[in-house]
Amino acid sequence: MSTATLTHAEAHSHHDHHEASGWKKYLWSLDHKIIGLQYLFGSLAFLFVGGGLALLLRWQLAFPSTQVMPDGNVGNPLSLAFINPQFYNALFTMHATVMVFLVVMPVLVGAFGNYLIPLKIGCGDMAFPLINELSFWVWLASGLIMLAGFFVAGGAAAGGWTSYAPLSSVAAYNGTKIGQTLWAAGIFINGLASIMGAFNYITTIVNMRAPGMGFFRMPLAVWALFITAFLLLLAIPVLSAAGAMLILDLNYGTNFFNPAKGGQPLLWQHLFWFFGHPEVYILILPAMGMVSDILSVNSRKPVFGYRAMVYAMIAIGFLGFIVWGHHMFVSGMSLVLSAAFGVSTMVIAVPSAIKTFNWLGTIWGGSIRFNTAMLNALAFVSMFVIGGFSGIFMASTPVNIFVHHTYFIVAHFHYVLFGGSIFAVFAAIYFWYPKMFGRLLNETLGKIHFALTFVFFNLCFFPMHNVGLGGMMRRIADPTVYEHLRALQPINQFITLSAIALGFSQFVFLYNFFRSLRHGEPAGKNPWEATTLEWTVDSPPGHGNFATTPTVYRGPYDFSVPGHGKDYIMQNEPPEPDYPAGSPARLRPTPAG
Amino acid sequence: MSKFWRFCRVGVPGALLAGASTGGAEIRETGVWWLPRNVSHFGHEIDFMIYVILWITGITGILVFSTMIYFIVKYRHRGGVGAIHSHGNNTLEVVWTTIPVFIFLGLAIYGNEMWGRMRMQKAPADALQVAVVGEQFGWNVRYPGPDGKLGKMDSHKIGKDNPFGIDPNDPDGRDDFTTYNDLVFPVNRPVQLHLSSKDVIHAFYVPEFRLYQDMVPGRVYDFVWFKADSVGSFQLACNQLCGQGHYKMFGKLAVVSDSEYEAWAKGKAPAATASLGSSAENVATVNR
Repeated sequence: MSTATLTHAEAHSHHDHHEASGWKKYLWSLDHKIIGLQYLFGSLAFLFVGGGLALLLRWQLAFPSTQVMPDGNVGNPLSLAFINPQFYNALFTMHATVMVFLVVMPVLVGAFGNYLIPLKIGCGDMAFPLINELSFWVWLASGLIMLAGFFVAGGAAAGGWTSYAPLSSVAAYNGTKIGQTLWAAGIFINGLASIMGAFNYITTIVNMRAPGMGFFRMPLAVWALFITAFLLLLAIPVLSAAGAMLILDLNYGTNFFNPAKGGQPLLWQHLFWFFGHPEVYILILPAMGMVSDILSVNSRKPVFGYRAMVYAMIAIGFLGFIVWGHHMFVSGMSLVLSAAFGVSTMVIAVPSAIKTFNWLGTIWGGSIRFNTAMLNALAFVSMFVIGGFSGIFMASTPVNIFVHHTYFIVAHFHYVLFGGSIFAVFAAIYFWYPKMFGRLLNETLGKIHFALTFVFFNLCFFPMHNVGLGGMMRRIADPTVYEHLRALQPINQFITLSAIALGFSQFVFLYNFFRSLRHGEPAGKNPWEATTLEWTVDSPPGHGNFATTPTVYRGPYDFSVPGHGKDYIMQNEPPEPDYPAGSPARLRPTPAG
Repeated sequence: MSKFWRFCRVGVPGALLAGASTGGAEIRETGVWWLPRNVSHFGHEIDFMIYVILWITGITGILVFSTMIYFIVKYRHRGGVGAIHSHGNNTLEVVWTTIPVFIFLGLAIYGNEMWGRMRMQKAPADALQVAVVGEQFGWNVRYPGPDGKLGKMDSHKIGKDNPFGIDPNDPDGRDDFTTYNDLVFPVNRPVQLHLSSKDVIHAFYVPEFRLYQDMVPGRVYDFVWFKADSVGSFQLACNQLCGQGHYKMFGKLAVVSDSEYEAWAKGKAPAATASLGSSAENVATVNR
């Protein structure tokens, strides 16, 4: 009962504050939907920045500019002379930093987390709207601080996104004291934004669910974001601490990580990866949740094994904190510890396998609609499977002795982060865009964009497995200085050309996105005939979301229930008196409470 | 601007050729799409493990993707055919949880058994002891002299003028000799490495040995050992980002017959006690 009272009170309080008018509402608004859109536009802008950095570094790998010929010209006529080795190191460092902290995390957690949680659990806004808006601006500031590194003396941080000490922590070794400090400061401030968001999500989900919205009636997207919020809250402070220590080491004479003065380089790695591995799941869990929803809606079937899916995500959340050492098998930490982390790493593959089988179970026996959202969701599943497979190679401690830090790992994490998370982001944008803007994205353009992205993604990243097994190190500015890599150069050039095509394919998406804002087909409340609460309100929903607090009578995926006229039942649809007696008990609506 | 015009003239196919010919490429024997040649005895086991996992993931992949494609085709939306209603199946959940658990635990146990032999088992007593200390951006290498013993390395003593952290009064170290960016190993004889770093983290990486190991400053790692089973010349690459010269931090590495190794070692003068070894400052060899 308390839930209901609180929700009503919240709804009222939000009706009280005014909605800002015009463009001003997109700058400063306490409405979770506007904040979600701010994160969406912000992270999409950074996506193009990060992609641009990636294309520059790919260009250097294909046509390196480090070999100076006797006549003074660089070795390759197509090389870009401004990409010197130091700048190259800055390129991949900032590419990864931007993609992790300014694109995938904010678009999944910031944009969709903010937009969807209140709408899906049936409340008017987040628990702390002011902190919510603050988190966006703090996040944006962190991004600008990190990118400012490109414009200071010495250039941007160039120690890799993992910033291993003491390269990162001693200015004499890295030559980018200011850039590295800005990077660490950016990471610290970015962490503040994440923490603000995370406890907001947890508080909102625990306290503000609509009457009848039990935990096991929450859509999997909400479950995923809920678990992700806990991971953020527990992992991010460790990174923030490490970032602060890095700033102190660089600028104020401490020696946490400098062995020459008694510090411990491996301490940085332990702190970084204690954050870094939960981070991997922070970057994929929300994607898994949203894809589960999209697969279910477009297969017209309930998610197969809903509770197994929830338990698998909780298991991933717990296990995610005891596998960080697999990034350090060959760092020289205790060899027994490596063996132990090898076991926990193999075990964490199990819940991911369970989720994959349940996704297949979800489309089994369905009536599948192949809209763009569904195509991207299916791409997510298949690419995630490939990324999972390559993960098994690296989880095996002896194989890791060989493939560690080669392009094999680069292939692996792009299959999970781009093939997984980014395809899920596209799926989610195509799916929820009509709710956000009231208009549908163009399906033809959408399918062209999907096909181009899917093909060029695989042409770009699959051969990286091969060059990695072929012995190509990551993070080298010029592979052609190595005799064993020169023969691989045509493959590197092929990868680069595919990457360029992949990059330019995204302009189809961009065009579709902005064109549909004005010219898209009007969406109506529920264009996909989905069942969850966000589809019961206008598109876009008004300030405060629900005119009256909805009451939830059933689970999130009541599709194709036998004996019903239509193949979906909204979560807030009251029980019918003539509900078929033969249905399983758990399908029967229960009263609010 | 001239660069742009050159781009137009040469075009993309030309670009591919230009890049491929930079530096006089030699085509590898074993093909460019797959593993390079392997010359270390542990490497064969690692390769075998790669194939085991490749078979497991390959078969699973074929099953998963063919099921997925079959479902996608069979259950595509068609007029008049609705979806079935199912919330799942607990037996199936148990089955597809249990099977992966056994496969993954099996892989973990199998892998750790190998890990134990490769990393936690001591090197054979007759192993050649070689110290390798990385620095920005090159490799200090120290070989034992006729006594077969390396001077004791102390990570606290490693510094600018003492890359190996050697005590000048240690008799074991007097006859050691040093090289820079130049490693020679005898074939079929175990080699035990003593790895450390002068400044930042470097990594000892030789793909043909299937070997990667970080070298962390402040520590000396002596658990890495291997035995090369055929001769050849290779490159030792740094595979841990170590600064702007990282990409060209490589050394020459040759595996030669026993007699060739002895001859090579004999030609090396003992390290002068005063300099305690070579370092970038006093060695003329510079990468390219």
